[in-house]
Amino acid sequence: MIEIGALRRDFGGIKALAGVDLRVPAGERRAVIGPNGAGKTTLFNVLTGELGATGGTMRLGGTDLGRLSTWKRARLGLARMYQRNELFDPLSVRDNVLLASSSLGGAYRPLRSPSSAEVAQAAEVLATVGLAERAEVPARALSHGERRQLELALALARRPRVLLLDEPTAGMSPAETERITQLVAGLDRSLTLLIVEHDMDVVFRLADRITVLHEGRAIAEGTPDEIRGDRQVHDVYLGKEVHA
Amino acid sequence: MSRATVARAAIVLAVWAALATFPQWSQFWESSRFAAGIIRQILIFAIFASSLNLLVGYAGLPSLGHAAFFGGGAYAAAIAAQRLGTDQLLVSLGAGVAGAALLALVVGFLAVRALGIFFLMLTLALAQMVFAIAFQATDLTGGSNGFSGVHRPMLFGIDLSAANDLYLLVCVTFLLVTVLLWRVTTSSYGRVLVGVRENERRMRALGYDTRTLKLSAFVLAGAIAGIAGALSAYEFRFVSPNDVALGTSVTGFVMVLIGGAGTLLGPVLGAAVVLLIERVLPSQLPAQTILGIVFILFVVFARQGIVGAVRRVARA
Repeated sequence: MIEIGALRRDFGGIKALAGVDLRVPAGERRAVIGPNGAGKTTLFNVLTGELGATGGTMRLGGTDLGRLSTWKRARLGLARMYQRNELFDPLSVRDNVLLASSSLGGAYRPLRSPSSAEVAQAAEVLATVGLAERAEVPARALSHGERRQLELALALARRPRVLLLDEPTAGMSPAETERITQLVAGLDRSLTLLIVEHDMDVVFRLADRITVLHEGRAIAEGTPDEIRGDRQVHDVYLGKEVHA
Repeated sequence: MSRATVARAAIVLAVWAALATFPQWSQFWESSRFAAGIIRQILIFAIFASSLNLLVGYAGLPSLGHAAFFGGGAYAAAIAAQRLGTDQLLVSLGAGVAGAALLALVVGFLAVRALGIFFLMLTLALAQMVFAIAFQATDLTGGSNGFSGVHRPMLFGIDLSAANDLYLLVCVTFLLVTVLLWRVTTSSYGRVLVGVRENERRMRALGYDTRTLKLSAFVLAGAIAGIAGALSAYEFRFVSPNDVALGTSVTGFVMVLIGGAGTLLGPVLGAAVVLLIERVLPSQLPAQTILGIVFILFVVFARQGIVGAVRRVARA
């Protein structure tokens, strides 16, 4: 589903991505881990087109992403849950989700309200993430955990084929982390997931396979068990976690 | 439709009906004709300010060149009527709308590439170019002398040149534009524009081509400003470069901010306040200074304008 070849992104002299290769088959749940500055968020930004690539190739379901703009990539079925919440604060929770789902029905409906099918779909997505009771509340009034749930709802409402999760549990309490981990674990298995996450418990619970990024390169890839046992990974990343 | 919406629509229609019949029920008042003229102008500028509000208040596009489409529409209506030798309302009004929309397409195509303050400066610069054209194309626009002798229009053989008929035309157009804007701002498209205002980056990630969306709002707002411009040409029987000048753009902006951006009623109230200060205060008083002070008071104490302040009081 995702095929990335020799992907590079430079910031001046800094090579944030120094030739990343990554292949994720359809339906796989892949975690990308690595120390801060390894290039994880840059990888997401380049994948979504919010940053241009300096070199390399990216394909989504066989389609060359090349220089496609962000919104065209989204229409190919690429969705993203942002690390920092990117919500529409004054709008209600339901309207937030409707904005996401109604992009499928077209942006130019100046004389029509959302169809009942769209409203029903929004309600379904809100039930999935556990915000059904909060539909009328403006997004700005939500707690941090609820905002993360809404962030996930926005990403899901477009019925994506590939979902990028950028630190889904960042800044959450243990209870909130548990909740969002369960939500992600319970998503449809046909959805391809790419997860950046620092909480290793969450990573080992969610991921089918793990890719380790270090200094802009993928230095290891394998099942959670293989990665746990990898010496090099321990040296650059996991070891630090244990000692910390 | 919810009960609240029906109640609100009933109030709006009642107020509108009272306004539309003002020349009839006020005819024994000695200032009736003068007042009717002020109301016409308020409604014309309310249409203009409402169109700008679609950009400023809903799509989050602070245009400082909106007069280009007001004046552009006025010139297009006047020139079309003169060159085609017709008084037909649908021809000249249609030309006003089409001319303004076309102009907005060109200006918007360039302007929506910029964000925030750069968008503002770009709309200002492009509108100044339209002003320069209006000023210099003497053969077409009359240049600095303006374009005088605009005919008041006919609609299906009905002559609208009498003041009361023009009054009704302005009232009906105002109502139609308001209903249109209400429908647009409460539609899927209206919510999408608010989404662009609140978080354009997220909108792109959700699959929206935000640049084209902003351009569409720009053209729609330009076309509606063109309606106001055409009505202004009928009202004053005169179009001048002033109508496309920066001063008119600023006036529109001030109306939106005083009334309350992002609300339907706000720009209408703002237009009323501004025109009442400019036209009704005794001429010994410095109207522009008073307007400036009022504007500053709103910016400092009531950023959400009249509508926002009333809402805040009602909630407290």
